[in-house]
Amino acid sequence: MRFFRFSRKNLCIPYALYLILFVVAPLLVLFYYAFTDGQGRFTCGNLTGFFTDPNTLGTLCYSFAIAIATTIVCLLLAYPVAYILATGHFKTKSVVVMLFVLPMWINFSLRITALKEVLTLLEGNLARYPFFNTVIGMTYDFLPFMILPIYTTISKLDSALLEAALDLGAGSVQAFLHVTLPLSVPGILSGISMVFLPAMTNYVVLDMLYNSTYIMGSLIGSYFSAYNWHGGSMIALILLAIICLFTLLNGEAEESSARGGALL
Amino acid sequence: MMKRILHGMALLFLCPVLVTASFPIGVTATEVETAQDLATEDDTAEGYAAEVGRSDAKVPHVTLRVCNWEEYIDEGGWDEDAVISLESGDIIGENSLVEDFEEWYYETYGIEVDVEYSTFGTNEDLYNMLTLGDVYDVVCPSEYMIMKLMAEDKLVPLSDDFFDTEDPNNYYSRGVSPYIRDIFDSHEIGGQAWSKYAAGYMWGITGMVYNPEVVPQEAAESWRILDDPAYNRRITIKDNVRDSYFAAVGALKSDLLTSPAFTQAQDYKQRLEKEMNDTSPETIARVQTYLQEVKDNVYSFESDSGKADMITGKVVANYQWSGDAVYTMDQAQEDGFYLNFAVPKEATNIYFDGWVMLKNGVGEDAAKRHAAQAFINFLSRPDNVIRNMYYIGYTSVISGGEDDRIFSYLEWNYSADEETAEEACVDYPLDYFFADPSLEDEDRYTLTVPKEQLKRQLGAQYPSEEVITRSSIMVYFDEAQSRDINQMWIRVRCFNIHRIPVWIWPIAAIFLVFCSFLWVYRKRQK
Repeated sequence: MRFFRFSRKNLCIPYALYLILFVVAPLLVLFYYAFTDGQGRFTCGNLTGFFTDPNTLGTLCYSFAIAIATTIVCLLLAYPVAYILATGHFKTKSVVVMLFVLPMWINFSLRITALKEVLTLLEGNLARYPFFNTVIGMTYDFLPFMILPIYTTISKLDSALLEAALDLGAGSVQAFLHVTLPLSVPGILSGISMVFLPAMTNYVVLDMLYNSTYIMGSLIGSYFSAYNWHGGSMIALILLAIICLFTLLNGEAEESSARGGALL
Repeated sequence: MMKRILHGMALLFLCPVLVTASFPIGVTATEVETAQDLATEDDTAEGYAAEVGRSDAKVPHVTLRVCNWEEYIDEGGWDEDAVISLESGDIIGENSLVEDFEEWYYETYGIEVDVEYSTFGTNEDLYNMLTLGDVYDVVCPSEYMIMKLMAEDKLVPLSDDFFDTEDPNNYYSRGVSPYIRDIFDSHEIGGQAWSKYAAGYMWGITGMVYNPEVVPQEAAESWRILDDPAYNRRITIKDNVRDSYFAAVGALKSDLLTSPAFTQAQDYKQRLEKEMNDTSPETIARVQTYLQEVKDNVYSFESDSGKADMITGKVVANYQWSGDAVYTMDQAQEDGFYLNFAVPKEATNIYFDGWVMLKNGVGEDAAKRHAAQAFINFLSRPDNVIRNMYYIGYTSVISGGEDDRIFSYLEWNYSADEETAEEACVDYPLDYFFADPSLEDEDRYTLTVPKEQLKRQLGAQYPSEEVITRSSIMVYFDEAQSRDINQMWIRVRCFNIHRIPVWIWPIAAIFLVFCSFLWVYRKRQK
């Protein structure tokens, strides 16, 4: 019975099982499909096909454009809010934070449906500004994911650093630019990664706001419903590679900014 | 450390083994059951029931796995005032039809049946579910998917006793409309008629639901409305490749399809089907250009939102299947206004959904096949047909045969009431659907309805014979054709890189260079 002796390590077995069943195994299948053709032979045609087709490349650019625009808008909206929340002296701070988190508790499709009606009221005809509407919808959906990390980072800042800067003669603007802003970069970065990546694939927002152009997520779906599993898997894989690259870059940036903080 | 990891991994692999090890008991039980089923195998229904009755050891038990479209069957729970009162008695949906079937099957054949009912969203979803290994006994795809499944040899043929019209429980064969029976008999794939494998369920046509206050009827009666700038961003089109392709072909060939030389030709029907199923590379290319134009002109490609957008007035016309069109018009009427339905003058797509039995589900199992065919028959019983039609708005393939209840339901539903002035009424013959040539009963199937019903629910639910003349089936495209058309569709929906304004590229390049410069600079500084 020694074999089954319980140790703390065994606690992670359920998770490992889960990981193997639902993450590793599908990934292997994805790889298999991406590099084979209909007859099961090895091919790189799916890969080269993606990068030579102006339509798939255009869709990649379109997804990037939506993701970048959404991230920028989210950042511009979220930073001041997070800053005020973290540094202000409200008695009801937690209530205000709650107000920003609260929308996340409401079902996502319900929120977008409500947004649809509001936008229709404002614009008259939604279909005339598909890109603009999509960015608004995505921002509405992902804003809390940007606010929260920035808020957490700023509220955990050592106030002594700021006081020291002020004592040494920096104005409040200078102190913000040279102390608070650089130190909140990790929060910004994790906020960006939480908004940018889902914004590239969340096609439900596009569908619900009547944007008939595909983004990466819907493109993959369309390949699968056309029984082209090989092409679809390859696009999913390419998207995965982009996400990996982005996460690596982000991680490195976070690391260096953390080191920068330590230096300061 | 290493040892621990190894232990962990061993445990990991052991778990599934242990889990499977605890199953053999279950497996044997199923085997025993199957053996019993095989032992009592008999082709005729009575024979089967009698066999079962003799060995009264235990009530036999069958599981039937059904997969149907979402919201495509009466689920019961009607309000008291929804009752349909016909001369032959009241009809109301108390329990779901699935539950009713389980009860009926036990009462009729003395066999307990357990229906595992699930649903699918699109034909393609269903096909993917089947290829991924989901096992069903009876499914209800559309005609082109039935053709695909037939071509791939995935179906079990309906047995001979299913077509025996002497058996009072064979409601399908006794009640199916002669018009539908002809189509199912005359259309073949691989030399085999549809009717050998498929029993129809619902059918319909495609057309335009429109708001008559904004859109004149003539405009709605052409596929060209889709690219009409007068309705820029105020029309929705179906978000699937086949429906869009049909509409585009109809619009592109509008002049040909409406020319008298074409419509009055002897072989009009065959030529129409050929034109509407044209998949030559030139046509595909033209369809792509046309659909790209349409994409920039319509409100959206919708898969479900069109009905609601029509009622809330976001759009003024909506390319719709007739069943959903009926639903939309009903809803509008409840809200106090009227919407109309028009069938394009070029051609309309007539479609069928039918029940088929799957090889990897029903297989050789006679008990399952019997239950599956009884299920189809039960859904074809006139009162159940009426319940379904009332509940989901689509049109059943069943006309009732000698049973007149379905036609009386139409009279109950659509006939002009006594207050309507005589000149506002019109005769609407439906003999093509209801009259069975073998029964010699002419003139029996003419409704007297208010004029506007022709443009409303009735016109959508039971199109006139003239509309039926210009209806075309859309066949199943073979693999190469489907690939080309699907690729065309993806190209229509994608954002072409050439549409990006040229000035963006230098800006993006400068931005990238700037970023990498910043990156290198910071690295060096450290």
